[in-house]
Amino acid sequence: MATPVIMPRQGQSVESCIIAKWHKKKGDQVNVGDLLFTYETDKATFDEEAKVSGTLLEIFFEEGDDIPVLTTVCVIGNPGESYEEFNPNAAEEVKEEKTTSEQLQVQEKEEAEEIITTPSVMEESDRVKISPRAKNLAEKMGLDYRYAPKTGPGGRIIERDIHSLMENGPAVTYAAKDAYMKMEGTVIGTGIGGRITTADLYAESEAKGAAPTGVEGLSAAETPYEEVKLPNIRKVIAKAMHQSLSSTAQLTLNASFDATDILDFRKKLKANQQRLGIENITINDIILYAVSRTLINHKDLNAHFVDDSMRYFRDVHIGVAVDTPRGLMVPTIFNANKKSLNEISREAKVLIEECQKGTISPDFLKGASFTVTNLGTLDVESFTPVLNPPQTGILGVNTIVQRVKEVNGEYVYYPAMGLSLTFDHRALDGAPAARFLKELKTNLENFSILLVK
Amino acid sequence: MVYDLIVIGGGPAGYLAAERAGHAGLNTLLIEKRFLGGVCLNEGCIPSKTLLNSAKIYDYARHGEKYGVFAENVKFDHKAVIERKNKVVDTLVSGIKFALKKNKVTVVEGFGEINGKNSDGYEVKVGNDIYTAKYLLIATGSMPIIPPIPGAKEGLESGFVLTNREILDIESVPKSLVIVGGGVIGLEMASYFNSVGSKVTIIEMLDRIAGYTDKEISTILMKNYQKKGIEFKLNCKVTKIENGSVVYEENGQSYTVSADKVLMSIGRKPVIEGIGLEKIGVEIERNHIKVDRTGRTNIPGVYVAGDVNGYSMLAHTAYREAEVCINNIIGKKDIMRYNAIPSVIYTNPEVASVGETEETCQQKGIEYEVANITMKYSGRYVAENEGGDGICKVLVDKKFRKLIGVHMIGSYASEIIYGAGLMIETEMRVDDIKELVFPHPTVSEIIREGIFQL
Repeated sequence: MATPVIMPRQGQSVESCIIAKWHKKKGDQVNVGDLLFTYETDKATFDEEAKVSGTLLEIFFEEGDDIPVLTTVCVIGNPGESYEEFNPNAAEEVKEEKTTSEQLQVQEKEEAEEIITTPSVMEESDRVKISPRAKNLAEKMGLDYRYAPKTGPGGRIIERDIHSLMENGPAVTYAAKDAYMKMEGTVIGTGIGGRITTADLYAESEAKGAAPTGVEGLSAAETPYEEVKLPNIRKVIAKAMHQSLSSTAQLTLNASFDATDILDFRKKLKANQQRLGIENITINDIILYAVSRTLINHKDLNAHFVDDSMRYFRDVHIGVAVDTPRGLMVPTIFNANKKSLNEISREAKVLIEECQKGTISPDFLKGASFTVTNLGTLDVESFTPVLNPPQTGILGVNTIVQRVKEVNGEYVYYPAMGLSLTFDHRALDGAPAARFLKELKTNLENFSILLVK
Repeated sequence: MVYDLIVIGGGPAGYLAAERAGHAGLNTLLIEKRFLGGVCLNEGCIPSKTLLNSAKIYDYARHGEKYGVFAENVKFDHKAVIERKNKVVDTLVSGIKFALKKNKVTVVEGFGEINGKNSDGYEVKVGNDIYTAKYLLIATGSMPIIPPIPGAKEGLESGFVLTNREILDIESVPKSLVIVGGGVIGLEMASYFNSVGSKVTIIEMLDRIAGYTDKEISTILMKNYQKKGIEFKLNCKVTKIENGSVVYEENGQSYTVSADKVLMSIGRKPVIEGIGLEKIGVEIERNHIKVDRTGRTNIPGVYVAGDVNGYSMLAHTAYREAEVCINNIIGKKDIMRYNAIPSVIYTNPEVASVGETEETCQQKGIEYEVANITMKYSGRYVAENEGGDGICKVLVDKKFRKLIGVHMIGSYASEIIYGAGLMIETEMRVDDIKELVFPHPTVSEIIREGIFQL
């Protein structure tokens, strides 16, 4: 029996996902566990595996399509089996047609003599994203909407594009049309009336300009760069980072602390790890623990700054920045202030691993009240972490360097670890932020005592 | 007073640019040293068409037998033909004067030379007067190439050797005419003088006539003219011009052909000397001014249109280049395209082409398909051309299935070709053209026939 494969729901808040890549083609044989497709939410990337074996009978969506969760994406079954009943597009088309004819009927009443129905010129194989309103208008005007500019979200043709088509004519010549449709990026039209011609499609490679003799120029035959479309997660990161810097008043305080105590403590734990039956506690785990215990006394930094109010969190939910092959992800350790060092360490490990594999639930990629990001393992000595609004603070953890201090009239070396705290000056002032940093420093320098508290 | 624009040269590029600029509200000055209308109107396209039309009527009158028409005592009065030509030219020149006046263009007669740049713009000197403008359009055109053949210069001075300028005012029909160079000008003059009684010999250095016209078509044209009595000496090089004869070399052997007159039509070169380009540093490339596709030179505000840019040496190219320049000057985006410029030879039969030929496709590595059909597919052609052997070639780009070239020899070709140019310019595909309706019966239907062969 043919089995539909649906777009899984990833967490309660996700309404739709984008197909990033198909790993199988229509007609391919698939076995249980085979990778079918990769899809993205606005925060993470996931892989969908086949749960039944058979032939991939039909694929209803293409790469790049944004699909509501629980919608049938493809059908697996035996060759020859009917699958049309599962086609979510079929239902949609019928619906659109209906709207069109309903609207036409309304118009017919109003301007009965002027209705000329023009047959649609669309070929069935063309999958053009167009809003029903735009489609209706195009068909009413007898326009081939495939020639229209696409200025709607996700390259969708919307009503204004049909108006533009009506006024300016097609932006591309007949011959250049097919190749243009498949192209990414913008092309400058040099044809009649500014239309894009077949020559324009290759204009990039004709880049002019001779290099001075004896100087190697760029090859005109190919672009000097490879243009790769941004994966969804990169777009999300880009947007979030820019929004953070443009919409907050963030600045960074740097401090360092004597890491002798936490280094000794970790050494002891490591030596006795098996005997105690505990996790491999890392320096980062220790810092997360210290932050969770310190933040609870500094409510301005354990908060969200939302428009004209502050949300002070009752517990500490720490976001942990994780570097993954797909890009930056920040899973949350909820209620960290109530968890033991061992629990924090275990949870952090699980979350980091799921991020790396791409199997993390989106529900864990939000909800943090404060973030910790660690570049110390990459030898960074100081940096300015970027806030994750509406959070009001983010702590950067740096590497350990040997420093000298005076103890009883003598110079002694000590391992100094850097901390870089970025905070939103809209939410709190410099002194309270510095006070948090100072208390954190004290707690880390006297970590054994903190544990006892 | 500072003008917005000074145009140097009143030929097709110059006068049209001035008209358009004036129309757009630019305060424009046009400088012409000889006659408004330039070579095209005074000593090229238009006068030659007047002559050729008279020759055609004469031919029809004398050779009507195959169509059942017999005429006796048909007389040809070359003097009357030249008089009529002068009238036609006068009419058209006054038309230009009127259009320039209407668009408030100031016209100055004299030789314009760029004088330099001042804080207001560019200075152009005419006689003792200096004019200044913010923008400059150079449209100085081209002139016939006179090769360094012994006797050529002397022949020109004595009136034995003529260029396109002198031959159109020649008082009587020479008994024998030797034409050096079998390009468009040479062929059209050969056509006229052959019809009106001269013994015409064409000496051409290449292995073909009509330049880069499709070789099959230029061969058909040559055969038609051989039948009419014109002699062709291909792969031949003129080495000496003596009074009364022309000496040429073929395969290392020297031959002499006697002539009453010699027409020198080996080609034309852009006029770039003596106009002061060096004073403002306008960049020259080989023998022409270097421009980009908007008509701009390397000097800001200095534009170039027409033959002097070295692209195509056709009046209709110059028209469009002039418009592109003016559009860019007034801030309207425009760009010159050369891929769909038709070219026509007004011989009888006419030759017309637009776009790529099979040869250029091969050179450029364009994968193409070609339909090569006889003109007899057109009913009107058969009805009107007894024994006609015209053909039409339709070239299609294999990758995009779009029309890229049309080449034809036959009646009305000159008037049909713009349609093909339009299809190429708009990149119509084979399937699009199949949906077009052509008037029946016309010779233009040949394009439709060609398309359906593909």
